[in-house]
Amino acid sequence: MAIIETKQLTKHYILGKKKVVVGLENVDLEINQGEIFGILGPNGSGKTTCLKLLLGILFPTSGEANIMGKPPYDIEMKQHVGFLPENPYYYDYLNGPELLRFYASLYSMDSDKADKRIEELLELVELKDAKRLALRHYSKGMLERIGLAASLINDPEILILDEPTTGLDPIGCRDTRNLLLRLKEQGKTILLSSHFLSEVERVCDRIAIFHRGHLLATGTLDGLNKQYQAENLEDLFVKTICAFDTEFAAKTGERK
Amino acid sequence: MRRKGYKYFLAIVLCFVGIHLVQIQIDYRKKLENLESALVLMPGQVAGSLILGGFKGLAADLLWLQMESYWHSGQHYKILPLLQAISWLQPSYILVWTIGGWHMAYNIYAEVKTPEEKQYWYEQGIKFLKKGLSYPFNANKYDIYFELGWTYYHKGKDYPNAVKYLEKAIKYPHPDYVDDVLAHAYEKNGQIDKAIKQWEFVRDNYVGFFDVATRMINDLKTKGKATP
Amino acid sequence: MKKMWLIGVNTFRESIRKKTLYIILIFALIVIGASKLFSFLTAEEELKMIKDVSFSAIEFFGALIAIFASLAAISTEIERRTIYTLLTKPIRRSDFVIGKFFGVSMIIFVNFILATAFFIGLLIFKKSPPNMDVFKTLLLIFFELILIGGITLALGTFTSDAFNIICSFFLYIVGHLTSYGKQLIERTENIIVKGLADMLYTLVPNYENFNIRDKIVVGLNVSWGYVGYTIAYGILYMCVALFIALYFFEKREI
Repeated sequence: MAIIETKQLTKHYILGKKKVVVGLENVDLEINQGEIFGILGPNGSGKTTCLKLLLGILFPTSGEANIMGKPPYDIEMKQHVGFLPENPYYYDYLNGPELLRFYASLYSMDSDKADKRIEELLELVELKDAKRLALRHYSKGMLERIGLAASLINDPEILILDEPTTGLDPIGCRDTRNLLLRLKEQGKTILLSSHFLSEVERVCDRIAIFHRGHLLATGTLDGLNKQYQAENLEDLFVKTICAFDTEFAAKTGERK
Repeated sequence: MRRKGYKYFLAIVLCFVGIHLVQIQIDYRKKLENLESALVLMPGQVAGSLILGGFKGLAADLLWLQMESYWHSGQHYKILPLLQAISWLQPSYILVWTIGGWHMAYNIYAEVKTPEEKQYWYEQGIKFLKKGLSYPFNANKYDIYFELGWTYYHKGKDYPNAVKYLEKAIKYPHPDYVDDVLAHAYEKNGQIDKAIKQWEFVRDNYVGFFDVATRMINDLKTKGKATP
Repeated sequence: MKKMWLIGVNTFRESIRKKTLYIILIFALIVIGASKLFSFLTAEEELKMIKDVSFSAIEFFGALIAIFASLAAISTEIERRTIYTLLTKPIRRSDFVIGKFFGVSMIIFVNFILATAFFIGLLIFKKSPPNMDVFKTLLLIFFELILIGGITLALGTFTSDAFNIICSFFLYIVGHLTSYGKQLIERTENIIVKGLADMLYTLVPNYENFNIRDKIVVGLNVSWGYVGYTIAYGILYMCVALFIALYFFEKREI
């Protein structure tokens, strides 16, 4: 059963009178409960746009997006969703526990429960020793980790992560990967975007490839490899994107 | 969610209707309580207001300080344009008018040599004081009336005018010496009866003046004049 | 309701941690300096000048704080992308906007109270304890500051920072010239011009309404009726700012 769903989801950015940039074009996605779904694509392919549309930060030009059958602005739905933005910035005048407590309060968690949860999460992302440090003194990797903790504060059913491994060192990447797999075991649904193919390859059950706002392919890695006669994910990625570009160039008469 | 737009628009329009009505009340009260900033169409004033926004009082203070320093260094003529400017910025600051009038009719008066010049500066002082009175918020205080009355009485020996303004001064809350000066002015103006009445008033109301007033009444009644 | 409060408190906490309140120290220095500077004047003149300087400084620094706190409240939140982490929580956009109004008002209030306490302390020290008129003036300055903050916040929902600062200061100056505008309108003959000017007079935030300090320091009286109507004006215009902010922010894409 699809827990996250988009129907003909389209987003055009209007820049000038006649200048329209396609952010997303007629995207149909279905993400099932309990799976890890990876959105792949080069920079500017519409990955982040898609996530923002799902979360109601942007509004679609046409089409619709649903999470748990609810539209993006539904407050009740957001109670069960966690989100980690790309290169997250937080209130840098707060320290780790203060930040988490603030977010916990926005989920209306009672304070005993929140305190316990904060302890657990700080332990999980290994920031227990940095409790008193204000976020402005954090390294990039630490910020990414506190961001992950923040996105898990409400113990979400659905976790949406935008480029979760940028800024992490190899060990951090491995820890994040293990964490995601553990969350999957707990029955959580995870939607992540990335342009690190190897990361995606190792954790995702199913993937979608985005390019220039179009959804090029979606399915399990093995299935897609077979369908496109690709050897591995990298091959698949290059093949689909080149095919699209050739077609695109032919259509628009663009010369390269 | 996104269709709420017209509701907000409606609410904004309604608020502006309210604002309009409240503003009418405010404007009415401004007139009633003399809170309006006087509009004098002087290029200098409009330009000044443009730059100063809400800080006219502060600008007046700065000019006042400058005036003080000219004062103490004896540069009397330099004070005049400053007085003018302060009176534009803050016409309700009554000290500007009284000090300005006194300054012209006394200090500059003393400085110039010929009688024509002296007469000119005396008249300028009177004119300045009367201009201060033309603002309604100054016209219901004793200050300028008294200053005018005193200048007529003491400097101009113009007793009818002195009486006229001092009589106006005592209509508003005022210190005791105003009544005292008025009594003297009555006498000089030849209104002995009124002078006696005024002294009696002073005697009955101000303990500090009791002896003086008693003597004055006595002198007036016996000799027909009191001031030597 | 609770979430508005949380967002407001967080906004306030930011201003404390970022030490905006230090601006009060500058205020204190100016006022102390002024009182030393004026000591050669007569007591009456000195008191007038201390009041002038203090009222002006409370308003000026208050306006600075109001404008910059309001800028930080929405624009900075968007620019630093911290807003993503808020809007993806179970929070309505209206909660966010109202919370920010509330937070900025709190910042203005605390700054105002500190400056006022300092000023009143100085008056008492100068053996001239404040009368009701002083409080009336302060009350109106406070409402003016809240309104300045609200308008900057509203502008921040649909403009860039730079444009917002220019607009806010421009409105601040124009809003203080309205009474001249009104008197000019009354002298106009042309009905169309008069109508347009009248409309403009209603639309522009009439900050001059709140300015009674020039009258108070020279001893004129202002009735409670006037104060009351002006506060009503401030609250109504604040609602306009809030609705404008809500209107634009509900549609805002980030």
